[in-house]
Amino acid sequence: MTAVASTTGTADNTSPDSPTVADPVAGTAAANSATDNSATDNSATGPNSASPNSATDRGRRPRLTSLQVFSAVLIAALLFQRPLAQALDGSTVRIAATVFVAVCVQALPFLVLGVVLSGLIAAFVSPAALGRLLPRRPALAVPVAGLAGAVLPGCECASVPVARRLIGQGLPDSAALAFLLAAPAINPVVLVATAVAFPGEPGMVVARFTGSLATAVVMGWLWARFGRPEWIAERVRRRAHPASGGARWWVFLETARHDLVAAGGFLVLGGLTSAVLNVAVPASWVEGLAGHLVLGIVVMALLAVLLALCSEADAFVAASLGSLPLLPRLVFLVVGPAVDVKLFALQSGTFGRGFAIRFAPTTLVVATVCGTVAGLLALGGAR
Amino acid sequence: MRRDTQNVLLVLLGGALIKISATELYLRYVKPANKWYLLTAGVVILALAATSLLRDAWLARGGRPMPGHHSHDHEPHSPWLLLLPVLAIFLVAPPALGADSVQRAAAGNSVAGAAGPSSGEFAPLPAGAAPELRLSDFVARAVWDRAGSLAGRDVTLTGFVVHRGGAAELARLVITCCAADARPMVVRLTDGGAARDLPSGTWLRLRARLLPGSATVADGYTPSVQVLDAEPIPEPVEAYEY
Repeated sequence: MTAVASTTGTADNTSPDSPTVADPVAGTAAANSATDNSATDNSATGPNSASPNSATDRGRRPRLTSLQVFSAVLIAALLFQRPLAQALDGSTVRIAATVFVAVCVQALPFLVLGVVLSGLIAAFVSPAALGRLLPRRPALAVPVAGLAGAVLPGCECASVPVARRLIGQGLPDSAALAFLLAAPAINPVVLVATAVAFPGEPGMVVARFTGSLATAVVMGWLWARFGRPEWIAERVRRRAHPASGGARWWVFLETARHDLVAAGGFLVLGGLTSAVLNVAVPASWVEGLAGHLVLGIVVMALLAVLLALCSEADAFVAASLGSLPLLPRLVFLVVGPAVDVKLFALQSGTFGRGFAIRFAPTTLVVATVCGTVAGLLALGGAR
Repeated sequence: MRRDTQNVLLVLLGGALIKISATELYLRYVKPANKWYLLTAGVVILALAATSLLRDAWLARGGRPMPGHHSHDHEPHSPWLLLLPVLAIFLVAPPALGADSVQRAAAGNSVAGAAGPSSGEFAPLPAGAAPELRLSDFVARAVWDRAGSLAGRDVTLTGFVVHRGGAAELARLVITCCAADARPMVVRLTDGGAARDLPSGTWLRLRARLLPGSATVADGYTPSVQVLDAEPIPEPVEAYEY
C-alpha cells in the first residue's frame, strides 16, 4: 500500500492537472525515477485528476471537503442560536456586533460595484486600450491616474478591486496605486459631503482635495522610484484570458465572482477590527487635545486608521469634534480614505501581505504630511 | 475553500443582504438611502453565485474541467470570514445602537460646525401647539438660533432616556453612513417628574419647552428642557436621525 502511494505521489509531481501540493518526500524520490514513472502514469492522470475521486485513488483517506465543514458550522450555529444571542447581551459586545454588521452592510455594495467594474475591465478593456489612456512617462501618468480617481464615486472598498485589475491589465503599478489612493478621497460625493459638514469653511474642501490628491501622487512617484514589482503578489499580474464574443461574459462572471470571494473575507476582517476598536478607543482620547496642535494631528491620524470610517461619513464625524482646531480634523480626513485597518486588510488580501506592510505605513506618513501642508496653505495657517 | 462552497456562501450572503433590505432590519445599521444599494448588491451577488453554480454543474456533466481548476493556487481560507456577517444577520440581527452608546460618548453635544448655519438664521417653527422637531434640529436651534425661534414655544421631541452623571437626558443617535459613525444628540430633562425616573433606554415622546440660557459652552451645548408631558413609546423603526 505504501509503495503504491509513493509511486502515485511521484506521478502527481509531473501531472499538470493536479490540484494538490506535491508531497516533499515523494518529490525527492521522484528525482531518479521521474522519467519512467511519468511515462507510465501520464495515462492515469488525465483531465479527470481534478475530480474528488483522485484523493482516494492516491491511497489517502478522503479529506473533509469545505462544503462539509461549512454545513457543520451552519448546523452548529443554528443549534446554538440562543446561547449565541445571549453571549451578545453585554452592552460592549452588543455595540461591537451592531457596528460590525453596519460596517459590512455599508461596505458590501461598494465592494460589489468594485468587483463588477473589475470584471468589466478584465473582459472588455484590452491592455493596449488602457495603455493609450495614460501618458507614457510615469512622472505624468501618476497625476493623470490620480485625477481619474475623481470619476469613481464610492468608498475605498470599490477602488481596491479596480486598482488590482488595472495592474493585472498592464497599467503601470505607480499609476494604479495613485488611482487607488485618490478615488475614495476626491470624488464629488465625498467633496460635497465635506462641504455640507463644514458650512462656511470652503477651505476644508480645497484642502481635502489637494491633500488627498498630493498623497496619491507622491505615493505613486515614490513607488515609481523605489517600489519593486515583486512586492506585489504575483497573482495580481496574472492576466485574464483574452476572449471574444460570448466568452467575454464568462471572463466577466468569473473575474467578478473570484474578486468578490477573495476580497470579501478581508473586508469582513477589517469590519471586525474596526468594530472592536470602535468600542475599545475611549472618547477621552479626543478630549483634552484642544490645546496641542502637533499631538492633535498625530492622534487624529491614528484615529483615522483605527476607526476606518467610510469616506462619505468621516467629514461629519470630524465636524462633530468641535473642540479640536481645523488642522488635525483635516489630517483625519486626508489619512482616513488612504489608509485604515479595513483598507489594510483588503490590500493585504488583494495585493499580498508583503505589499501592505510596506505600503500602508508609508501612506500614513505621506498622508499626514500632505494633509498638514495642504491645511496650512488652504486654511491660512494652523486653525 | 472549494469553489462550490464559495458559491453556496455567496448565495447566503446575497440572501442576507436581500433579507435585511426587504425588511426594516437594515435601518438598524445604515441610513434609509442605502436600501437600494443593498438590494442591488444582494441581487448581483446572488446572480454571480447562481450562474457560476449552474455553469459548473453543466460543465461537470460534460466531463470538462471547471474553470479555475487548472491553476496550482492554494485555495485561500479567508472567504470563511464571509460566514460571520451572514450568521450575524440571520441568527442574531444585532439591535440598533442606543443608550449604551450614548453613555460611552463624551458628555455634551458636538454641534460646533456640524449643525449651525453660519448665518444663524433658521426658518420659523412650524405652526401648531407643539410642533414635532428632530432632536438634532432642536439642539441646533437652541445653540445657534439668534432669532430665538424656540423661545416660549412648546415642541414635541422623540428619543430615549439616558442617565449619566446624575442627570437625566433625552438622546438620539445621528448617523451619516452607518452605525459606525453614530454621534449622540442630547437634551437635559429638568422638572420632568416621572419621565426622569424611567430606566435608560426607554423611548419617549415628550412635550417640552427650552429653558432660556441653557445650551452654552459651559454646559457642553446641552439644552435643558422643562418636560410638560411624556408618553413612553415603542422603539421607532427609524431609531436614528440622519
